[in-house]
Amino acid sequence: MFVEYTWLVPLVPMLCFVIVGAFGKKMPEGGGPVAIFGALFAFVMSVLISYEFFTSAAYSDPGFITAQIAWFSIGDFTINVGYYIDSLSCLMILFASFISMLIFIYSIGYMHGEGVKKRRYYAEVSLFLTGMLGLAVSSNFLEMFVFWEAMGLCSYLLIGFWGFTHPNGDDAADNAASAAKKAFLVTRLGDVCLMGGLFVLLYAFGSLDYVTVFDTAAMAAVDPNMIMLASLLIFGGVIGKSAQFPLLDWLPDAMAGPTTVSALIHAATMVKAGVYLVARCFPLFTQNPEVMLFVGLIGGITAFFAATMALNNMNIKKVLAYSTLSQLGYMFLALGAGGYMMALGIQSGDNHLIAAGAVGYTAGCLHMVNHAFFKALLFLGSGSVIHATGTEDMREMGGLHKKMKITSITMLIGSLSIAGFPLFSGFWSKELVLEAAMHAGDYGVEGYLFTIMWVLAIVTAFMTAFYMFRMWFMTFKGKPGHGTEHSHGESPKSMTAPLVVLSAFAAAIGCMILFGFDEYITIGINGAGQFQVGSGHGHGMVGWLEDIFLSAYTYLTVVLVLAAIGIAYLMYSKKSVDPGKINRNGNSLLYRALSNRWYFPQLYNRIGWGLGYGVAKGVEFVDRDVIDGTVNALSAAVVGGGESLSRVQTGNVRDYAAMVMIGVVLLFAVIVALFYFMGGA
Amino acid sequence: MIFDSSIVTSVFGQFAPIAPMIVLIIGALVMPAVFFATKRRGAVTGVAMAVILISILFNVLMLADGYQGEYAGLFAYDAFSGVMILLFQAVIFLTALVSVSSSETTRMHYGAYNSLLLAAAVGMMFVATASDLITIFLGIELASITSYVLVAMKRSDPRAAEAAVKYVIIGGLSTALTLYGLSMLYGVAGTTNIADIAAALSTQGFSWAFGIAMITMIAGFGFKIAAVPFHAWAPDVYEGAATPVSMFLGTGSKKVGFVALFKIFLVIFVAANATASFATEEMQYIFAIIAAITMTVGNVVAISQTNIKRMLAYSSIAQAGYILIVMAVMTEYALASGMFHMFTHVFMKGGAFLVVGALITVGIGEKISDYRGLAKRAPFIAFAMTVFLFALAGIPPLAGFTSKLFLFSSAIYDNGVMTQWIWLAFIAILNSAISLYYYTRVVKAMYIEKGDTAERIRIPKTFAAAIAISFVFVIVLGVFPQLIMDFCADAASALFG
Repeated sequence: MFVEYTWLVPLVPMLCFVIVGAFGKKMPEGGGPVAIFGALFAFVMSVLISYEFFTSAAYSDPGFITAQIAWFSIGDFTINVGYYIDSLSCLMILFASFISMLIFIYSIGYMHGEGVKKRRYYAEVSLFLTGMLGLAVSSNFLEMFVFWEAMGLCSYLLIGFWGFTHPNGDDAADNAASAAKKAFLVTRLGDVCLMGGLFVLLYAFGSLDYVTVFDTAAMAAVDPNMIMLASLLIFGGVIGKSAQFPLLDWLPDAMAGPTTVSALIHAATMVKAGVYLVARCFPLFTQNPEVMLFVGLIGGITAFFAATMALNNMNIKKVLAYSTLSQLGYMFLALGAGGYMMALGIQSGDNHLIAAGAVGYTAGCLHMVNHAFFKALLFLGSGSVIHATGTEDMREMGGLHKKMKITSITMLIGSLSIAGFPLFSGFWSKELVLEAAMHAGDYGVEGYLFTIMWVLAIVTAFMTAFYMFRMWFMTFKGKPGHGTEHSHGESPKSMTAPLVVLSAFAAAIGCMILFGFDEYITIGINGAGQFQVGSGHGHGMVGWLEDIFLSAYTYLTVVLVLAAIGIAYLMYSKKSVDPGKINRNGNSLLYRALSNRWYFPQLYNRIGWGLGYGVAKGVEFVDRDVIDGTVNALSAAVVGGGESLSRVQTGNVRDYAAMVMIGVVLLFAVIVALFYFMGGA
Repeated sequence: MIFDSSIVTSVFGQFAPIAPMIVLIIGALVMPAVFFATKRRGAVTGVAMAVILISILFNVLMLADGYQGEYAGLFAYDAFSGVMILLFQAVIFLTALVSVSSSETTRMHYGAYNSLLLAAAVGMMFVATASDLITIFLGIELASITSYVLVAMKRSDPRAAEAAVKYVIIGGLSTALTLYGLSMLYGVAGTTNIADIAAALSTQGFSWAFGIAMITMIAGFGFKIAAVPFHAWAPDVYEGAATPVSMFLGTGSKKVGFVALFKIFLVIFVAANATASFATEEMQYIFAIIAAITMTVGNVVAISQTNIKRMLAYSSIAQAGYILIVMAVMTEYALASGMFHMFTHVFMKGGAFLVVGALITVGIGEKISDYRGLAKRAPFIAFAMTVFLFALAGIPPLAGFTSKLFLFSSAIYDNGVMTQWIWLAFIAILNSAISLYYYTRVVKAMYIEKGDTAERIRIPKTFAAAIAISFVFVIVLGVFPQLIMDFCADAASALFG
């Protein structure tokens, strides 16, 4: 009864976008309450839909509810529009709407001083939320792609929000503008791949509906190479959207927008869309173990590299941005490792392996939810700090704990959680991710690559704990900095209240895994031979506890995490160890490489700007100077110099005419050549 | 039946197939008189709008009723002609609507200006209904010669005079080439009726005389559609002409070349293919190569433009490259998609030109840097421009996305089988990714960069109305493409017979 109205979930935020966009100026807080209402409605609706779905017969068989109507037809293919509800979409809409709602509430306080621009802000974030929710409930790839692009567009507008007048001056405004453009164009590069993937799918399956594409019989009937091509192209889109290696450069720059937007992009929407898409396409991706191996490798490499970049950054938001990249890498590592095992299991018919693969899937999804909560918390917390001190540089903070107790403690909880401190949310999911990666190493010819990724992931866990606590100690402990002295104490209630709520979730949401989360969010092959998300057999509380605490590797990770926190404490709070000695006061080769993000931006500039603009200039040069020049010379030779006067008056019209004639001659040559080589006529 | 074409047939009798044109011809003749009588530009435009609306009404009645008829073996009205006439009517409607308040259009000769505008539209429609080489040529010339004058009419700007001279000379050259090709074709087939030519050629098979006819005709029509390497005039002319005229040329005049290409080549090739006595694959490759080069040159050169009209001109060249995919693929579905893209192009590119024209009228320059901070000064205009540009780049769910989806997918599949033109589709997708770069530059200037002033801008009402119409169509056609796509599918099957 509620599921039939699933379309309201994206539609109401969409209406809020229209209402705020049109009448926001006359509303209190630029239409903020309307945006909050939209998110609240979406959340309530999501709860009702999820409840109805999980209690319905469709949950256990076939595992989804879908309904669609014809949208338009492409030749012989019909494109539909509709909704597709299964455990995964329920999970997505639940946490996306809930966290967005908290972020919107927080924005009331954070954006209070922005004046008339608040209208634009609330309109755009509503549209952003629409994109995410629509993407999660879409019933086919094209519909998904529409929302996917809408979100990309909104991120462009929101990151560039401070384009006109950045609170930190003109340089910051320029940065915001170019960061926005970079985010848009880089993610578009991925979208081109995704679009290509959709064309391949449409060709291979004759439909873009999830129901048709994910059908086991249909997939068996299609050339595996075609599926591999489609999977890799789709993953190309994911790499762009979720900022994975090697397209990871845009996300740190995207910090130029308001902090709340960063929270929205990093926690609830945008980058999570990529994770969702991989989880959604699991049936497709698992047809080829190589695809999943690729996903896992990209994830592992990103997790490691992004974590190294966070080690020495001084900007509080950038540290968080790198940690997002790193955590996303974990999710893809888990999904890749799980999918790899599952793909091998499907090929060999080994049910045990399929079940082991499902753990990876569960781990990836659980880490996605956990990350959504603690990253939203950390970003909003950093927003609170920036709001109070007016700076993003951690060297100007310090000693804030006394002035901002609530912010300090909630951020501590977030840091503990992301670092994987035992019993906090992040601990459970991180252990599962590591376990999945380790298990995958035991299977298949290329399995050893996952073992390498597992080692990288453990090192990443160490680095994560270090840079998070480096951030926390630098901000809240130690000697008060320049910014701390200017700060005006704790932020208003509308900002701290969401922090408190989020911190409760950030601490505890991971325990879901002990209470049957894996029964709902798992993937397996049901009696009818179809892939099914949910209604699997959970390990149960005892099972998971044994799994985690009886493994020696768990203790290894815990020891590393504790050691990292200890080192951070010694360096940045007690200051008994001087980090300057280790990095030769910022002059060591490694330190400089890290500050320059391993020179990725320079590389991109050289490739992207140098090549792209160079080619453009080159083509224009050829078009204008070489062709015209040749033509000039030719016409001068033919007509002689006596008419130079007329050339001044008519510009280069004679050249254009000569171009036409040369074109005709060329055409003739090409036709003759074609006929000659193709043996026509 | 709500749509009943018997009203048209009973009034116009045997002239019914060209009824929409007759209405416009009458309009064109009275235009100067109206201007001399009233001396008011508003009155002239009012009459022009009325005439255009009547013409649209007739055409819609005939099209929706599925009317078919022919006149004197020269003109034949069918679903294809109906749809293309509708397209030209949409273009002329928008152009005539905004000409009255544009600061660039002539004040002295406003009656003649409108008269020429209507005559040019009539020429285009003649091409759409023509069933004979002579009428195709006649129509193209009518449209071309009036366009030369329209370009030259912006007398305050020396660039316009220069552009007009270039346009005339290159246009004359192309006309000569076209005419040469047509006469060769007549020499080969011994008739000027297109269907008879197709029949004659399918029995004769390929001859080099036909090959030469084809080359010269591609060059002649290539000038109209601004395909590389016959494109050099377009940026100069679009930049020099009054913006409503640029829009008219970019969205309407360009399509005339396509209609002629479709009418002559598709009909001949389909007939030839049926008898398999001559291979069309080589011709398809020619068009595929031209398409690939055209879209790439257009998009890449657009990146380095600083004048927005020149940028739009190069983007127009690129769009022509996309539409040329139809000529390479040569399937019924590709033709339908191409026609649909031509429709969406009218509103996307037309809309963008309208915004440029409106801003020139209120005193904002043509440089992209002049658009800085526009979002603050004119929120609606900036938003509409953003939508038009993103539609051109193919961002869903706007019209450009849907039409490109149709067009590119037509190059990939043909009845569920992968075609050999998949590489062309790949180049096209890559190109639309490139194109986003220069469109974003304008959006960035409008929304993100800081302007010199924050003074509000009020644009003339007719411009606002025309922009709003385009805006609505860009969104509606993106979400409900079937609205026009169904007509296009009928039209394509009518042409393919």
